[in-house]
Amino acid sequence: MDERHGSDGRLRPSSVMLDQLLHDLGIRGLIERQRAAEAEIQTMGITFTVYSDGDNIDRAWPFDVIPRIIDGDEWNRVEAGLVQRLRALNAFIDDLYNDQLIITDGVFPAELLADSVNYRPECRGVHPAHGVWAHISGSDLVRHDDGEFYVLEDNLRVPSGVSYVLENRAVTKRVFPDLFERQSIRPVDNYTDELNRLLTSIAPHGRRDPQVAVLTPGVFNSAYFEHSFLAQRMGAELVEGDDLVVGPDDVVSMRTIEGLTPVDVIYRRIDDLFLDPEVFRSDSLIGVPGLMRAWRNGAVSIANAPGAGVADDKVVYAWVPDIIRYYMGEEPIIPNVPTWRCMYADERRHVLDNLRELVVKPANESGGYGIVIGDRADDATLRQCAAAIEADPRNWVAQPILALSTVPTIVSDDEVAPRHVDLRPFILTGQRSFVTPGGLTRVALPEGSLVVNSSQGGGSKDTWVVDVDRMDT
Amino acid sequence: MALLSRVADRVYWGARYIERAEDTARVLRAFGDLYVDFPVAAGLTWGPLVAITGEPPLTDDAGDRGEQAVLHRLIADRSHPGSIVSTIEFARENLRTTREVMPREAWQAINQLAQLSRDEATRAVGRRTRDWFLSRVIEISRRLDGVLESTMTRDAAWHMWRLGRLVERADMTTRVLGVRAAALLRSPLDGLDEVQWMGVLRSVSALQMYQRAVRGPIESSDVLRFLLFHEGFPRSVRSCLVGIQAEVLALPDPAGVIAQVGEVVAALDACDPDAHDGWAIDADMDRLQVAIADLDRAIIARFFTW
Repeated sequence: MDERHGSDGRLRPSSVMLDQLLHDLGIRGLIERQRAAEAEIQTMGITFTVYSDGDNIDRAWPFDVIPRIIDGDEWNRVEAGLVQRLRALNAFIDDLYNDQLIITDGVFPAELLADSVNYRPECRGVHPAHGVWAHISGSDLVRHDDGEFYVLEDNLRVPSGVSYVLENRAVTKRVFPDLFERQSIRPVDNYTDELNRLLTSIAPHGRRDPQVAVLTPGVFNSAYFEHSFLAQRMGAELVEGDDLVVGPDDVVSMRTIEGLTPVDVIYRRIDDLFLDPEVFRSDSLIGVPGLMRAWRNGAVSIANAPGAGVADDKVVYAWVPDIIRYYMGEEPIIPNVPTWRCMYADERRHVLDNLRELVVKPANESGGYGIVIGDRADDATLRQCAAAIEADPRNWVAQPILALSTVPTIVSDDEVAPRHVDLRPFILTGQRSFVTPGGLTRVALPEGSLVVNSSQGGGSKDTWVVDVDRMDT
Repeated sequence: MALLSRVADRVYWGARYIERAEDTARVLRAFGDLYVDFPVAAGLTWGPLVAITGEPPLTDDAGDRGEQAVLHRLIADRSHPGSIVSTIEFARENLRTTREVMPREAWQAINQLAQLSRDEATRAVGRRTRDWFLSRVIEISRRLDGVLESTMTRDAAWHMWRLGRLVERADMTTRVLGVRAAALLRSPLDGLDEVQWMGVLRSVSALQMYQRAVRGPIESSDVLRFLLFHEGFPRSVRSCLVGIQAEVLALPDPAGVIAQVGEVVAALDACDPDAHDGWAIDADMDRLQVAIADLDRAIIARFFTW
């Protein structure tokens, strides 16, 4: 399904102006703009890092110049749905680490929590500011044949990609200045201000003008560009584990040329298990000894809070609609994709009997790794997959193979063709909520492919939320 | 806001690398000029130039093949850490990892430079595009400082950047003089002395300023005096040291480092501009370089180490 067309087959009003421009430019004019965009990306140094890429670990960001468009009215509903979802998920996490009412009330099975690899007993009894654990999250949405957006998964630990939302927009503005003048496209640039406001608001003891630091695993991490970008935009320090030290008084400080300088809020971009070698993996070289102690004692705030990942595994995902009903007393605004949980014998039977028609996913991998798409896998792969499910059922879920929407994409120097896309909006949750208008659109470049991850050769597009009623006519 | 020690380290080295790339480009551009002016019989070869990157000179350096070998080593050889391509990549990596303290335009300038070097360095080994390439390297490096000069807050990162630039520049001037000393050792006075010293001045882009300041013939002691002691010429060792002292004083707790700057000043004052033979010049430059290396160690110990 080409997203530019409504269910009646007609071009949506929000796409009219872009469609006209593409028509006027022709393929050659379009390729010219694409080249200009690529040159811009080189000069602006917009990169991402690929593991095991040897010589050139720092690669130019893949970008397709044709934007993806979403109607403002549709977006308002998605936005409300994401705010609702993240409020509920945060209430869920806070409950799990404290009273566990949702388990007492029989809505969420206790054995799931007992099995969860992302539940951190070390976090029990902690009450972060505003009851929020997952301050920054990115939920992956897809659009199905029926035109509806579905949530595919939630990323509550260290979701990345938001810097590219901002950079893609900066590039598009330079390449299509004409389109921005003539229609109402919602800006995305204020994300970092909102993030800064959020981080500042969770400072310990309501401290004003706190020192905020972005904690990165280091310059070889695939998202280093983003860590640096966010620190830059917020005027925060970008720190590595080695730069920080926790004193006996629990004060967390940075090593500067003037000596030790205290830090109040840490936006951590490293996984829980590497945060503090005294508590989690003792072999972690990128963590900070004593950091968990400082956090538990309220000397430093950490976003996202350690343990927040308990709510984003693909098994918990299947319960999110119930979680929303339980904490919010509302029906979910954005639906989940139907999900079979292999831990239950009947659902597992269904999965094993229908492997060919399903997408099978490990519960705790990210980046598209370990996913088996039934109708594209060979028999050997399916047999291995079935064996893996039998061996560890709780670690697997399955969903129907969706007919993802497509967006026109440059696929060669003389061809524009439909390619599948997904969407990752970023949601900030604190005292109030903020959702990026649109988000990161990732596009699967090979024909028919559904794999959009940039680490696996996916591309990206600028995403425009266009308000039609405010457009000049 | 206080500067992280790790970031200070990267900024300092980013500046050193970019200055090294620029200065190497200046030397090669000047030497190319000198080389075509020289009669073949005079036996001028490119080999000794490799020493400016701190390596033993290439010996098999005669004729066109030698020229290509040396220039490949100094411009395009990725396996040689002192080549222009390598130093530019190191500088870019340092700027990539300090973007939160450096103005964005600086990052864009270094990307442009890295792009140029990746695309063109190999061809610049040949004569046709070499001059153009080297001039672009110098220009972009200068633009980078222009960007910082006009858009960067005078904070600790700024002083660290300036410090790196100046330490490297001082070091480079002594290396260029060291290469001249080595040439004198190889073929003592050969009647082309004036042209050779002119080449030295050109190598640090000092010829015109020298002529305005000295107004006499170009000869050894005046050139040494100018490049070592002239207070106003920005590439003289004295001028670099005055700058270094000011930058260090602008940083917190500078006392130990300042003492080491004093050691370099002492080594400079001990240089004899009237020394005419290669041995004496060589020994003076050695002492200066050792003192500068000690200064570098003092900077590392004071600001980057925990």
